[in-house]
Amino acid sequence: MSEKHPHRLPSDIGGEAGGAVDTVDHGMKFWERQANALRSVLSRKKIVRTDELRRAAEELGERYAQLAYFEITTSALRTLMLEKGYMTEQELDAKMKEVRARFDVPDEMESPVKKQAIAK
Amino acid sequence: MSPTPDPGLRRSDGALDSRLSGNHGTLAGQPSSYTPAPGRRFNVGDRVRVKRSFPPGHRRTPSYVRGKAGEIERVCGAFPNPEELAYGFDGEPKKVLYRVRFAQKDVWPSYGGPEQDIIEMEIYEHWLEPA
Repeated sequence: MSEKHPHRLPSDIGGEAGGAVDTVDHGMKFWERQANALRSVLSRKKIVRTDELRRAAEELGERYAQLAYFEITTSALRTLMLEKGYMTEQELDAKMKEVRARFDVPDEMESPVKKQAIAK
Repeated sequence: MSPTPDPGLRRSDGALDSRLSGNHGTLAGQPSSYTPAPGRRFNVGDRVRVKRSFPPGHRRTPSYVRGKAGEIERVCGAFPNPEELAYGFDGEPKKVLYRVRFAQKDVWPSYGGPEQDIIEMEIYEHWLEPA
């Protein structure tokens, strides 16, 4: 058992009892591929650093344990892009609204391009 | 002819740490990521204790090892400080990174495994004190 302290990060769980490990390969959803590619490009261009992404992920606090892996990394990426002034929250909200309307995608996202290809 | 070994790669008993002398792990002709750390505070074999400190922010030392004593297993090199990089700064001055070896029974008070079990982890110099 390791020491409890006020600044314990949600990722700092070494030695704690964990739940069951999900060993099923869930693959990657369409948006996860897109978001991960964006993160890779921004890292490669040195616009964001791994250490910054980790820090922004840790700042999710209690939400950290509730989110899935790509939700955590994408949320961290959002934080950094706002922090660094690459976009404003208003711009992001407007863009998200626009993209949602354009694709009209269900929750379980599938590539619309792939869907069209299958339908043909 | 092999280069003169860095004295820091010698263990406290004077023996040269074979893992760190000469060819240190080159892959397919790529240069090793090992970087010299001339101004370092500790050498292989030194006893160290991890600071029992709990500051806020992005910290690279797990809580469970804070306050625990171990031994320097190797000098990994000097690297930009990740605790500064995490906030968008350049991580300078670089910090010396060590691999520290701990006895499992020293890390976990109720450890029930074999006496000789160890755990090793990389810890930056500013988290270490002489033990």
